[in-house]
Amino acid sequence: MTREPSLPRAAQWLLRLSRVAPDRRDEVQHDLHELFVHRRTNRGVAHAHWRLYHDVASLCLQAGSIMQIPTPSSTLTLLRDARGDLRYAMRLFARQPGILLLTVVGLSLGVAIATSAFSIMNAAVLRGEGIADPDRVPGVLKTTDRAVWNAWQYVEFLQLREGSTRMQVEAVFTDGAPVRTTAAESDGPSARFGFVSGGFFTATGGRVIAGRPLERADEAHADAPPVVVSFVFWTSRLNRDPQAVGRTIRVGRTTATIVGVAERGFSVPNNSLFWMPLTAYRTVYSTAPAKGTVDMPVQVFGRLLPDASLTEAEAQLSAVAAALPGIATDHQSKLRVRLDPHAGLGRVSSSNTIAITAFVFAVIGLVLLLTCANVATVLVSSAITREREMGVRAALGASRWRIVRQLVTESLALGTVAAAIGLVFAYWAIPTIGTMIEAPEGVDLAPDLTVYLFLGIVTLISGIGAGLAPAWHSRGADLVTPLKGEGAHQNRLAPRRLRSMLVVTQAAASVLLIVLATLFVRAAFRASTIDVGFNATGLYVVSPGLSDAFSGETGMRSFWARAIPELQAIPGIAAVTLAEMPPFGDGYKSALTREAPARVVYLNRTRADYFDTLGLRMIDGRTYTAGEIAAKAPVALVSESLARAYWPGQSPVGQTLPEAIPLPPTLAKGGKSLVPSPRPSVIGVVADAITANLHEASAFAVYEPLDPSSEIFARLIVRVAPGPTGVVQQVSQRVRSIDPQADVRIASVAAGLQQEASRPRMLATITGTVGIIAIILSVIGLYGLTASVVGQRAREMGVRVAMGAEPGDLLRLLMWDSLRPVALGLVLGAGLALLAGRVVVAAMFFGVSPHDPTAFLGAGAIVIVAAALAVLVPTRRAASVDAAFILRQS
Amino acid sequence: MKGERLGEFEEFTLLAVAALGDNTYAVPIQQYVEKVTGRAVSIGSIYAALARLEEKGFVRSTMSEAIAQRGGKSKRIYTVTPAGLRTARDLHRVRERMWNAIVQAGRS
Repeated sequence: MTREPSLPRAAQWLLRLSRVAPDRRDEVQHDLHELFVHRRTNRGVAHAHWRLYHDVASLCLQAGSIMQIPTPSSTLTLLRDARGDLRYAMRLFARQPGILLLTVVGLSLGVAIATSAFSIMNAAVLRGEGIADPDRVPGVLKTTDRAVWNAWQYVEFLQLREGSTRMQVEAVFTDGAPVRTTAAESDGPSARFGFVSGGFFTATGGRVIAGRPLERADEAHADAPPVVVSFVFWTSRLNRDPQAVGRTIRVGRTTATIVGVAERGFSVPNNSLFWMPLTAYRTVYSTAPAKGTVDMPVQVFGRLLPDASLTEAEAQLSAVAAALPGIATDHQSKLRVRLDPHAGLGRVSSSNTIAITAFVFAVIGLVLLLTCANVATVLVSSAITREREMGVRAALGASRWRIVRQLVTESLALGTVAAAIGLVFAYWAIPTIGTMIEAPEGVDLAPDLTVYLFLGIVTLISGIGAGLAPAWHSRGADLVTPLKGEGAHQNRLAPRRLRSMLVVTQAAASVLLIVLATLFVRAAFRASTIDVGFNATGLYVVSPGLSDAFSGETGMRSFWARAIPELQAIPGIAAVTLAEMPPFGDGYKSALTREAPARVVYLNRTRADYFDTLGLRMIDGRTYTAGEIAAKAPVALVSESLARAYWPGQSPVGQTLPEAIPLPPTLAKGGKSLVPSPRPSVIGVVADAITANLHEASAFAVYEPLDPSSEIFARLIVRVAPGPTGVVQQVSQRVRSIDPQADVRIASVAAGLQQEASRPRMLATITGTVGIIAIILSVIGLYGLTASVVGQRAREMGVRVAMGAEPGDLLRLLMWDSLRPVALGLVLGAGLALLAGRVVVAAMFFGVSPHDPTAFLGAGAIVIVAAALAVLVPTRRAASVDAAFILRQS
Repeated sequence: MKGERLGEFEEFTLLAVAALGDNTYAVPIQQYVEKVTGRAVSIGSIYAALARLEEKGFVRSTMSEAIAQRGGKSKRIYTVTPAGLRTARDLHRVRERMWNAIVQAGRS
């Protein structure tokens, strides 16, 4: 016979926790055991266990004479008491629905803002782009004595990869292309994705949830390239198709087969939507093979092998780099490699977001503070009126801890309700904010576990925090005084001080937020009226996107030769030109001067009529001649500010461009290597223009002639004369008439400028919204607080009226008492705003001083008016009261 | 408390004690009630019902002799008191009368 199974330990343990009297526990345990054995034999193990725990639970909950009288030490007692507290809280709230409503609205707004802010920051910064162990994945930088680059040529990368045994060296290049998931779909905006070398996924640690990652062997399949799509792409564009692996998508000019779906959260680099082999570059854009890959600039990074050190790998790669042909010449030092963990993938973008992160954290902190202060004021004011109740409780033997627990339970209950509503708000707000801050398509904004965890912690903190404030207040409560009735404790100082402190906090936070919002609004205004030096309206950038018929240098040149005269012939087109970097396009080229402090110089290569097309005045000298362009003569034009900085008081024409302004190396004859470019001499000076990075507004620029071999990289800039409409369509038609398969894209420069200018506007919207909510919260708090304070002082008011005070006197007295802490808060908030303006956001201001008096006065006025209104309503009611009635009442 | 009256569950428990005869205890009672009513019954509710029945004087409990099967421990055994039997019979009679009324109403 098999041994009888014994009663499970857990059940025995739970039984000890139940209320079964100790002298009957043995008996109950035997009964349970018998039932357990019986059920196990007849109905199976699972059923027996299920019924056993059901029985144990019934013993914990059932009341009856076999049960013991509850002792305070039992855990379950605590829970049952909490249930009682909760029920009491519900009854209390039901009696004061107004207070309940105000508090819940305030709390849920706070929770919603904090949650949305956090989930966006979570997506932007905390979650990162999904590189495993990023400290072991340094960026590979190209270094000489004088300069550091983060771009290598593809051929150089191949050598580095070949020669490295201490590190797995990989390369990546991000670009955009229109993507179609089905043949019927029309082209949307271009999607960002990464061209990567074969070992990219192993080096970054990226995993797939379906299919396989890209492999080294995939580099050979350039013509029908494999593609791994990101989780975001799989969700938003493929509707989480379980059969996605094996499907084909159209990327640019090629058809790619999906071989894998990356796991959620992997989006390196730059929030890529999918990844293809680097070798597929030319099939996507159908450029000539040699141009397509060999001198393609790639970002190189690597994963250190487990036993390798950074210095070891660096030395080895430097040796490989020194042997690279081409760049080393006598006046330039040998090429070295620097491995920089801070320049690894995904690190560059995060450094830009630090300012925004700090800002978001500050907003979260402020909102939480406000919310807590708000709920605390409501609870404190109700705690004061409930002092009597607490006195009764204490007199009946409730310990202080018991009373505190009651209060914390109440505010936690409020917090939970508010958190649920806040989450709904946040769900709605997150995509809205996402659009507002122009989050890139690849960013996954949906809340994840971290966000829910955060929400839970927020609820706990605000609940406990708000509950503890009144508990702290009632810590000195004695048994007798409250029972004696009202009036005996009117002049206790502690609660007043606490309430004032809360009001001060609220007012300070509101002022801080409003000041920041005002500064941003002014910055946005400044940005939209900033003088860029040329007229952006009517200026369009045309990217022709030509088919294979016009690929390569000669094809491209023949296209420009045909297209430019044809476009110029269209009525309504004032000018047509070519430039390498069109103003406010998708990129810019710049150099940092070798001085302290370094300054940004924008570099461009243009045709001679670029300046006329943009409307830039020629101040001195002349533009390039056709002969200079054809001969690739080393000549340059500089902007007025640059001329003034380097040649003060004299004409720069005929001078050589100073060595302090570095220029990128040029492609040597044969197109296989880079050589340092000769120093150009200045032939002319043009008016200042801001063509990129509106917030930096640097007007230093060097323009060089666009030589014919570089025209392949150029963009067409068209100025449309004011008046006729439909000219832009004609441009597109004309290009298509030359190349019927052309994928023409026309972007308005004014729109690009607008987008640049919208950055401060978005910050203004966010802080403004939060600021308004902050005001609403503090008005709610102030209103509730004043109403209850005034109610308590009704007797005093009655006495004053009886002694001959006029309603006006009372109003003044009450208003001043209530507004004093607000005024203190104003001063404090203004001080904080001065600090915050300097530390956090100075970099983003478009020349708006962080000490802008308008912002401070405006914010102060708004808060004072809101506070005065909140105080006025209950105060007036109190001041106009009938003295005799009040005195009779008490 | 329901005073001298019996709730449905208490009635089931009382009848189970009566049906199982003298010297029965909680486990068989639980199994019997569960079998007859066809619904899951927790041991806790049986204890509670027995406690209330004892309080009202419808059942009586005594401690048994030590039993080897239960590790030498005694168990609490229940017997129906005359008052309990009478109440059960009264209840039965009331129900019978009411059913008769329904049956006659159906005939006419």
